[in-house]
Amino acid sequence: MFAIEIRDIHKKYKGAITPALDGFSFFVLPKKIVGLLGPNGAGKTTTINILCGLVKPDSGTAIISGMDCMKEMDSIRRFIGLVPQQIALFESLTANENLLYIGRLYGLESNMLANRIRYLLERFGLDKHADKRIKAYSGGMKRRANIIASLLHEPDLLVLDEPTAGVDVQSRAMILEFMKEYKNQGKTILYTSHLMDEAEQVCDDVVIVDEGKFVINGAPKDLIKSTTNCKRLEDVFLHYTGRVVRDTPTDE
Amino acid sequence: MRRDMSGLLLLLVMPVALIIVMALIEDAPFRDYQELKFDLLLADNDQGSLARQITDGLKHSKNFHIIDSLNGQPMTEAQLKQLLSEGKYKIGITLPAGITAEAVNSANIVVNNISQKIGMSPTMPARELRPQMFVHVFFDPVSKPAFRATITTALDKYITYSCTNILMQRLSMLSNGASAATDANMDDMKKIMQGIGVKEEPLNNRGKETMHINSVQHNVPAWAIFGMFFICIPIAGHIIKEREDGSALRIGLIPNAGGYVVMGKIIFYSLICMLQFMCMLCVGLWAMPLFGLPALYPGLHSWLLLPVSLCIGFAATAYGIFAGTVFKTITQALPYGSVSIIILSAIGGIWVPIEILPHSMQLMALASPLHWSLEAVNQVILRDGNIQSIALPLLILIATGGALWGISALINNRKYKNL
Ligand SMILES: Nc1ncnc2c1ncn2[C@@H]1O[C@H](COP(=O)(O)OP(=O)(O)O)[C@@H](O)[C@H]1O
Ligand SMILES: [Mg+2]
Repeated sequence: MFAIEIRDIHKKYKGAITPALDGFSFFVLPKKIVGLLGPNGAGKTTTINILCGLVKPDSGTAIISGMDCMKEMDSIRRFIGLVPQQIALFESLTANENLLYIGRLYGLESNMLANRIRYLLERFGLDKHADKRIKAYSGGMKRRANIIASLLHEPDLLVLDEPTAGVDVQSRAMILEFMKEYKNQGKTILYTSHLMDEAEQVCDDVVIVDEGKFVINGAPKDLIKSTTNCKRLEDVFLHYTGRVVRDTPTDE
Repeated sequence: MRRDMSGLLLLLVMPVALIIVMALIEDAPFRDYQELKFDLLLADNDQGSLARQITDGLKHSKNFHIIDSLNGQPMTEAQLKQLLSEGKYKIGITLPAGITAEAVNSANIVVNNISQKIGMSPTMPARELRPQMFVHVFFDPVSKPAFRATITTALDKYITYSCTNILMQRLSMLSNGASAATDANMDDMKKIMQGIGVKEEPLNNRGKETMHINSVQHNVPAWAIFGMFFICIPIAGHIIKEREDGSALRIGLIPNAGGYVVMGKIIFYSLICMLQFMCMLCVGLWAMPLFGLPALYPGLHSWLLLPVSLCIGFAATAYGIFAGTVFKTITQALPYGSVSIIILSAIGGIWVPIEILPHSMQLMALASPLHWSLEAVNQVILRDGNIQSIALPLLILIATGGALWGISALINNRKYKNL
């Protein structure tokens, strides 16, 4: 069974001229790190938001571990952990308070939750800053805290939207290392990035999406081999998506 | 710029609404009650000609609509008091037995005096004057002092007029006394005018606990409610901030957490409101007397103020959640929140009692949760109401809060579908 199976998804936002997703299909095998790669505005975040029940597609199916994202979201949310592109934490609470509150809302038993928070804070190097408010955190610290908040319930499927964008080198190394470690615990990871070197290094498989359509997928090594004149994943990416710059303003 | 259209519109619409409502409301006290018509309960224990004249006079007046029978039977004083204390009517008068006799007697004395002065022998039967007699006026306990004074004066005018009529009849019985009437001794005139007076009476008599008509009793609850509803502003700000800092998104990712979180907020803020109300109550009970003001009287069943303030808190909290859901930014929610509370309080009778407002405004008051809040509190502290008497306002407050909460949930749901 696939960990994620997306078939022929169409999504056009209200007021948009072109669709964000235009018949997009792909799948993710369990216990792998899969990179969803594409230029700006390709539809990566839209895809992830559909998987997490934050956006409703116009048509198509999205299935996670055999469950329909449109019908069984409450069950899916128990074993999926989404790390959104934006920081999703209570700014005026400390990291510790945030994690305790979020863990309680997941219904986690308090001893187990305390241990889990302690372990994750240490793992992400935030144990010394656990009692500082989030608003006092640096960008890299906020990113790491944001990831911890999605890991409290030990999701079988971890989905990260641009976890390494605009993050300092040390934080990025720590995040990538953790992703590999988490995969080795038997978990599945889907993550988006626009950094090809990084994807080549951590991904078992990559899926390239452009203008809301599936382009190609495969293991980075295989893709490099099968595409003419390519030495790196970045060459493959440029080969398929072209050299035209994509600028999508973030605000309508 | 397009995004700011709604904010801009709000900036124009809110002050316009505020000006209209305020003008209507503040206009009411200046009208001197001239254009208003009040239901007036009347119990006639006398059944004499003076009573009939007073009744007829009032029936023809522009300001009063007389109700002197109940289910086809003449209204009794007990029924009248019951209807007033339930708040079904605002004003009632009882004409005591013997007022006609008293008025006739006074008139006869005056006529006899005049007869003597013009050299005629007294012709009218008369006895000694008795102490002054009163037509009793009763009010709904919720009526404010200014209202009571105005109505009492107006009634006094009608009754004096009726007494004068009686005197005129007696005078005309003196066959050639037409010119003599002008000589009528002014002291005598005063006597007869004072013969029957108008006096406000409490609906019940419980010694110290009888009547509580004072500014503390009428202002503390009204402004406490006004203050409680202002909680909607921090709540709306809180909700908008959670949407902006992404914590709302986090809650959305946790299975079934959204409902718990909103419920937690509602419980927390409702309790805060309750606490706030209790503080205001304490101020009325113990701090006001320190400034030489009367102490607040919390009613015979003061514990009912606990559920009452909880329900008011619930409605206020749900209103805040609604405002936080509807408005995108704090800069929009802030003016909307405060101005709408001022408008709702004005039409709800917090500033000016609704009974002196035009009929259309009185109907609008029913749409204001602040009106039902005030109604519930007044039932307890002014009418000594019991659970039954606060049931309707509390149900309306709970329903209003529930509806606002539900609409907010629907709006959030639609946002997801319409993206
Ligand atoms: N809420 C939205 N409303 C309207 N258009 C949107 C919205 N979110 C994204 N889009 C548009 O949909 C397209 C895909 O966006 P997105 O999925 O965020 O791309 P990516 O994450 O790959 O950069 C872009 O053209 C973007 O402008
Ligand atoms: Mg994106």
